[in-house]
Amino acid sequence: MDQLTKAAWLIPLFPFAAFLLLTALGRSYRLAGVLIASIGSLASLVMSLLVFIERLGPNAVDYSGDSYKWIGLGEYTLKIGFEITNLNALMLVIVTVVSFLVNVYSAGYMKKDERITVFYGYVALFTFAMLGLVLSDNMLVFYIFWELVGVCSFLLVGFWYAKPAARAAAKKAFIVTRIGDAGLLLGIIVLFWYMPGHALDFSSIHNVFTEGQSGTITTTITTSIALLLFMGVIGKSGQFPLHVWLPDAMEGPTPISALIHAATMVAAGVFLLARTFDIFEASAAAMHTVAYFGGFTAIFAATVALAQNDIKRILAYSTISQLGYMVMAMGLGSMTGGIFHLFTHAFFKALLFLAAGSVIHAVHTQNIHEMGGLGSKMRITAWTFAIGALSLSGIPPFSGFWSKDAILASALEENPFLFAVGLAAAFCTALYMSRLFFIVFTGKSRLQQPAEVKESSKVMTIPLLVLAIISVGAGFIETPWNGWLGSWLTDGAEDVHASGAAIVASIAVGVLGIYVGWLMYGKGSIERGAAGAKMPWLVHLLERQYYVNEFYDAVIVKTVRAVGKSLNAFDEYVIGGAVRLVGVTAGAGGRVLTRLNNGQTQTYGLTAIIGLIVIIAAIVGRRFW
Amino acid sequence: MFNIDFNGEFATFFIFSAIMIIGAVLMVSLQKVVHMVISMAAVFLGLAGMFVLLDAEFVAFVQVLIYAGAVSILMIFGIMMTNHQNKQADPVKPLHETLAAVGALCLFGILFYAIRTTDFPDAQPLQAVEDNTSSIGQLLYTGYVVPFELLSVLLTVAFIGAIAIAKKGAD
Amino acid sequence: MLPSYLTMAAILFCIGLYGALVKRNAVIVLLSIELMLNAVNLNLVAFSKYGDVPSLTGQVFALFAITVAAAEAAVGVAVLIALFRARGTVNVDEFDEMKR
Repeated sequence: MDQLTKAAWLIPLFPFAAFLLLTALGRSYRLAGVLIASIGSLASLVMSLLVFIERLGPNAVDYSGDSYKWIGLGEYTLKIGFEITNLNALMLVIVTVVSFLVNVYSAGYMKKDERITVFYGYVALFTFAMLGLVLSDNMLVFYIFWELVGVCSFLLVGFWYAKPAARAAAKKAFIVTRIGDAGLLLGIIVLFWYMPGHALDFSSIHNVFTEGQSGTITTTITTSIALLLFMGVIGKSGQFPLHVWLPDAMEGPTPISALIHAATMVAAGVFLLARTFDIFEASAAAMHTVAYFGGFTAIFAATVALAQNDIKRILAYSTISQLGYMVMAMGLGSMTGGIFHLFTHAFFKALLFLAAGSVIHAVHTQNIHEMGGLGSKMRITAWTFAIGALSLSGIPPFSGFWSKDAILASALEENPFLFAVGLAAAFCTALYMSRLFFIVFTGKSRLQQPAEVKESSKVMTIPLLVLAIISVGAGFIETPWNGWLGSWLTDGAEDVHASGAAIVASIAVGVLGIYVGWLMYGKGSIERGAAGAKMPWLVHLLERQYYVNEFYDAVIVKTVRAVGKSLNAFDEYVIGGAVRLVGVTAGAGGRVLTRLNNGQTQTYGLTAIIGLIVIIAAIVGRRFW
Repeated sequence: MFNIDFNGEFATFFIFSAIMIIGAVLMVSLQKVVHMVISMAAVFLGLAGMFVLLDAEFVAFVQVLIYAGAVSILMIFGIMMTNHQNKQADPVKPLHETLAAVGALCLFGILFYAIRTTDFPDAQPLQAVEDNTSSIGQLLYTGYVVPFELLSVLLTVAFIGAIAIAKKGAD
Repeated sequence: MLPSYLTMAAILFCIGLYGALVKRNAVIVLLSIELMLNAVNLNLVAFSKYGDVPSLTGQVFALFAITVAAAEAAVGVAVLIALFRARGTVNVDEFDEMKR
């Protein structure tokens, strides 16, 4: 079975081959395109599962694949290789499962789209890039794939590029994450500079930052490297203050929101934290920064989600909030908690997005106030959405409860303040999810054409069911009385964070949130506008997402634009003037020379003679000096 | 600078070259076309004299026959058949003429410099043979018979061609 | 003696060149070209007497050059006559077909 791990480099190549085939085939092969992409991702899924099962065995050691020498610089060689650790194997499974299900789902969701083959090509390319990112064994290759998933995200967010909003969102997603990526690149460069032997592979990083070689790299440098890397995380995983691109990215097709902007790509930031966890652990300041950023993002995004009216934007803010949880868990030193939440969140958030997509597909709107009463018409969608929502709200025995509990338990141990923040965020989470569920699936229908709504086709509901089953069951790999995941991931280095208080508190806030939500939006015994009527400014603040976008627009975008304008003026008048001067000079010279070309033999003869004299002068004239 | 003793050859050379330069300058500067051709004839004759000076009697004879005779007459015919109005009111092109003059002068300067600086071998001059014409005839019919025949073909083709071109428009 | 002949030839050549470049009447341009050819002939004959290896070959080549020049003059005048019929002029600066 060891052979399988050694062949793990094949996993990303299946989707890549699919991408190449789809690109070569062109748009006319619609069904073939769907099949090719699905088969490609299925092959990856099967292989990832096999590798994963192999890792479950007792004697699994981390395997670093043969490195291909990419660039040699004197003594230093840059290598491309792959690495299989328990963490990587887990990520492989997450990515390939969600990717395969999204492939299947999209066959229904994108059925009528003219460019479905292109869509599948992009998805295959994304899957390739994401799997490459997971498998990469050094920071530079990691960074290359990191950017590649960013490009795929750009392409897919802007997939319906005829819509101006989609174009703007694609640009925003690309540019905002780029700010973080710049930090990540700087971090990698600094790391390259200070690492002994300029090694960038993860195992060397692990060795340098853990095994008492604290002398090699000072704490200040470690902190700055960690913070720079964290900038990349902030950009990619939508942490405050670079979270603004993620809600806008919902302009893309819904399967993409599920795959890229909920389950995999945004989790890449958390994955990066986990891969370079040793660097962060070596610097307490960096850990605190990470924890507080995560905690703030969690509560911030959760409150914004309370007041949104677009079903996908609610889920997007929920994603930001949950990513905040994961980052907070990392910052609190609980890598298991963060990865565990990443694992469960990937499934139930993909489930929620796909279910939301099913709803959107049926009713052709994203405004929750134009829905309502869909539960009776779309039973499978409603039930699976409910499972996802309960899981997200942290109700046992759904998977989200266990992972959120793991985070809250470690927060209670490490930092009571963040524990309180987490609880508040959990309450908001339960509240907005119940609001969403009750408004969309219960009550009276507020649809434009209620008769047309019917359940989505099987190709879309089966992925929902599969994800729902996973969402229910996935939590049991790490429970307060069974720390299997933690010991598997960290070789038993991390203890189980179990706390009865945390369990009770998290269940309590979850139930309370749902109950309040039910009172307000299900039963209607609390007037919906009650809170809003008393504090209109608060509702307004939340609806406008704390005016972050407006703030950026006023402060950053305007400044940048002014700088751009002045640079443009410089370009226009100084550089452009110089260029025009050159042009005018050449033109004038040309006009003079045109007169030479007057068709008269004598002029040509004269020119030839003068040329001859010049040449002779040039050759002979050297004698004289 | 010339380091030449003032012997008979040099005197003759001097006279002939004076004729030729005057003729050439007149050719360039005269106004009437016919006068130009006549001054050219003087140049051709002077050149023939110079050939005699160089012990090339046959070439001198051919020069008189073909250039001073045939070509000059041909040119006069050409003028008569083309330039009826005989007008010479040139719209002057001063820049062009100046540049041409400068170019020609520069070229002469370069040639003169080259001639002056070249170290010519001090070989024994060719002794005048008894019968220049017969020697050239022997040379032409032995060593250079193929070029000679080719030239005769060329001349035939050229003259037939000239007649054809000149006649075509007349019909 | 040789440099004198060569200088003479150079003078003739440059006057011919100037005439060929400046004169407007095509007949005179042809004449100027003849002058340049004559300058070359003078060189050939001068070298045949005073050259490094004196021989009659130079004179033979001068004869050939004279022959070719005669053919050239004949064809040139024929072309001029044809041109004059077609365009009504033999002024060189009125021919600018090469521009098109």
